[in-house]
Amino acid sequence: MEALEMYTVDPNDDVYTEELKLNLGPQHPSTHGVLRVELKVDGEIITASRCDIGYLHRCAEKIGENVTYLQFTPYTDRMDYLASMNNNLAWSLTVEKLLGVEAPERAQWIRVIVAELNRIASHLIAFGTYGIDIGANTPFFYAFRERESIMALLERPSGARMLYNYVHPGGVAHDIEDGWLEDVLAFCDEFEMRWKEYNTLLSHNAIFIGRTANIGVIPKDMALDYGLTGPVLRASGVSWDLRRDVPYLAPYDDLEFDVPVGEGTHGTLGDCWDRYWVRMREMMESIRIIRQACPRVPAGPFMDKAMNRMYKTPLKPEPGEAYMRCENPRGELGFYVVAEGGTSPIRCRTRAPSFCNLSVLDALLPGTMIADGVAIIGSLDIVLGEVDR
Amino acid sequence: MNETDIHSKLAGAVVSGVGALDESAKDPFVVVDPGSLVPAVTFLKNDADCRMEMLNCVTAVEREDCIEVVYHLSSVTHRHSLTLKTRVERPAGGTHESWIPEVPSVAALYASADWHEREQWDLLGVRFTDHPDHRRILLPEEWIGHPLRKDYVYPHEHGGMPLDLDAVPLYERDEATPSEPAAPRPSGTPLVQPPNPNSDRPDAGGVAPADSDGDLRSIKPGSNDGGGH
Amino acid sequence: MTSLIAFFEGLGLEGVLALSAAYALCIASLLGFITVYAMFAIWMERKVAAHIQVRYGPMETGAWHGWAQSVADAVKLLFKEDLIPPEGNKFLFWIAPAVVFCGVFAGFIAIPFAEGMQIVDLHLGVFFIMAIASVEVIGVIMAGWASNSKYSLFGAVREAAQVVSYEIPAATALLVPILVVGSFRLGDFNAFQADHGWLVLYNPFLTVAALIYFISSLAGCKRAPFDLPEAESELVSGFHTEYSGMRFSFFFLEEYASMFVAAALTATLFFGGWNLFPWGGGWEPAPLAPVILISKIFFFIFVQMWLRWTLPRLRVDQVMAMGYKYLVPWAFVCLIGAAWFEYMGWGGLFS
Repeated sequence: MEALEMYTVDPNDDVYTEELKLNLGPQHPSTHGVLRVELKVDGEIITASRCDIGYLHRCAEKIGENVTYLQFTPYTDRMDYLASMNNNLAWSLTVEKLLGVEAPERAQWIRVIVAELNRIASHLIAFGTYGIDIGANTPFFYAFRERESIMALLERPSGARMLYNYVHPGGVAHDIEDGWLEDVLAFCDEFEMRWKEYNTLLSHNAIFIGRTANIGVIPKDMALDYGLTGPVLRASGVSWDLRRDVPYLAPYDDLEFDVPVGEGTHGTLGDCWDRYWVRMREMMESIRIIRQACPRVPAGPFMDKAMNRMYKTPLKPEPGEAYMRCENPRGELGFYVVAEGGTSPIRCRTRAPSFCNLSVLDALLPGTMIADGVAIIGSLDIVLGEVDR
Repeated sequence: MNETDIHSKLAGAVVSGVGALDESAKDPFVVVDPGSLVPAVTFLKNDADCRMEMLNCVTAVEREDCIEVVYHLSSVTHRHSLTLKTRVERPAGGTHESWIPEVPSVAALYASADWHEREQWDLLGVRFTDHPDHRRILLPEEWIGHPLRKDYVYPHEHGGMPLDLDAVPLYERDEATPSEPAAPRPSGTPLVQPPNPNSDRPDAGGVAPADSDGDLRSIKPGSNDGGGH
Repeated sequence: MTSLIAFFEGLGLEGVLALSAAYALCIASLLGFITVYAMFAIWMERKVAAHIQVRYGPMETGAWHGWAQSVADAVKLLFKEDLIPPEGNKFLFWIAPAVVFCGVFAGFIAIPFAEGMQIVDLHLGVFFIMAIASVEVIGVIMAGWASNSKYSLFGAVREAAQVVSYEIPAATALLVPILVVGSFRLGDFNAFQADHGWLVLYNPFLTVAALIYFISSLAGCKRAPFDLPEAESELVSGFHTEYSGMRFSFFFLEEYASMFVAAALTATLFFGGWNLFPWGGGWEPAPLAPVILISKIFFFIFVQMWLRWTLPRLRVDQVMAMGYKYLVPWAFVCLIGAAWFEYMGWGGLFS
């Protein structure tokens, strides 16, 4: 049994325990892609951990330096592939900031609706896969049923089901068809009912609470220190949502919505259950936003005319730089673009929320059990496409 | 507070090395000397009026004459943010193999800086002094070079795995004179970056990296030493 | 069994020959039964899971609701390459599935499906089934160790800890009906319940004991929420991670066979055996007895499946805490309480 490398702690003692080095991933059912975590375990208890990322690295930032501004939009789809709309949006806003243009009002409202729909779809995946991580397989199928409806809805304006490439600098790629907004509202009604089902099935299940409460606690200071954003930060009790605090789209100022914050309902503030529950409540807030936004979509152009003309030749922003951040389902997605006058930027930095959120993992794992480790990885809700870019 | 206020407080507190605020930029930024970076960030984090609790992003940008490292800081308490920059001048003929700029690390102040700085080291080759765990993060540990440098040339293989991408950047391609594909390297020869014919920088490529640990470079094709798993 | 031997002796076979022929027939029919049952149970599991998860499950193979899916899967498993980890212990790896299967297979011989419809009428039937089922743990540990995979090892050790721990509450809970009936012979339970009604309603301690036994049997069969030895999201597949093809299917068979044995014990000891109504019986026509018993068994198998597709998985320490902190003390409380009731002459809702 040579392959079972044993790490002796103190072989001089008569009684000593041996540590086992366990490779969690990159091919493992619950690492949400190709994350690899090297664990040292003492029985079931993790004593040390080290994240190893980069298995999905495509150097998107280098690609960004080699393609035009518009051409990079589909590449942003492939970063957080579960929230492509939000990624498109962040990239488009960055380019718009660099160019100093603003999308027409209709486009802004459409952007809000599609971004919130995609946020729900993304949180549904988080909910479903978290159930699988904890050992409940059924919620996954429930979540996918509703995600399917969202994908069908988003397919109608964009033509794609997952990697939309819909939000472009200057507006959106296509106008929405008649009747689409009504269907979105109908989905909202249905979803509200389904959401209650999820809670009956998983959220308030005693075993589920037992597995997630008091596990992987991230205190407020630690969350800020590690630069965590999104639901992971809010679950630690920090009310910080870019949609409300740094409104990057004009409609968010006019819309009424709450920012769910962790309360430590079943244990300590900032535990896995809080992170899960913040996501669940955020879905309902998104529904609220969509309900308010749908009737208010104004008539008008969906794409800035000047921008549309500019697409005939590659965009050439003035030399300058812009950092634009958006509230993605997973947290703050920031693009930092440096232009030096060419058709492509000289630096196209992506501040990926999953990347920052994952960095806290090594600090959380030691002292927990292997099963808790899986619960913690799931509660951070990472997308490896975005971690590695 | 807006950026101007923060900058005036910062300039008052940190004795030297804090430049003027560039207000013409879309995100007004302050340039700080590398030597004053840590005091400046410490001040911004701890001062009651600034309270930059969060370091959002660390970015290294390679320009013609320098490499600048950009820090995006923001405060959750006061809901303001600031962009901080520090610059390291490029020495004459500094290529990505011969020139590794050094910037002090802020990982002791912000845990988030840890991974961000590792990524910038990995992709742009900026060394962050006093970093607790200065390893590559996205690329394999035995990778040669830093891909986001402008004079970086794609390798033709890694650990025996062919990576034959066209070395010429897409926007520099000339349809009339297609670049010749690189000749396959005989197996077993050391990995050395071929020169980039399209680079207009002096001494770009063609130089073997400083031989610090030779064994990494002698990976033979087929040897199972790739990701260490 | 004796009637079979007599039958073969009537055919002109003598002594050992008749015995061997009878045993061969029993083993063959039991193997056939278990295989067919397991295929059906796997199909049922997939259907139950599918309908809980708002989908249909297999629908194409064999036209009617995909009934032949399990047959197709079995054929596929037969033809799959049999992989043995090169660094593993080949002998143990090879023999482990057989050991695992034997334990459960042997348990089947003591189950009475109707009066006289039983391979061996053991006086210590309950005891025998509990004891022989423990052999399975040895096989699982062999499999986990011989696979030379850390995940397999973890699964095997978890299995050992879990099954050994849960045998205590399971056995203690089974002692309660044994105490009431005063026999280890499974046939006696059926006779007793024909007179006195289902034991689960006999007195409150027996009701609790039935619950404790059912929960413990879930852990013994490695069914959710106690499926830690093969916890997919943590240990990939636990002890059978490295197994493929036929050997893997033996673990599969074993899981479903042990579910059957556990459900059969629950049905026979607590839920009236082949007596249809809770207030007793004995009047049901004899040919109906196996039908009644097997439908009860399938009801409990269905409950096991239902729980699996509804509940999340417990953590190792929670499993242990549940076993030792709650089930074991309550099982002993039930035992003492039932003894007290018997001493006082109370109990018997329908007697």
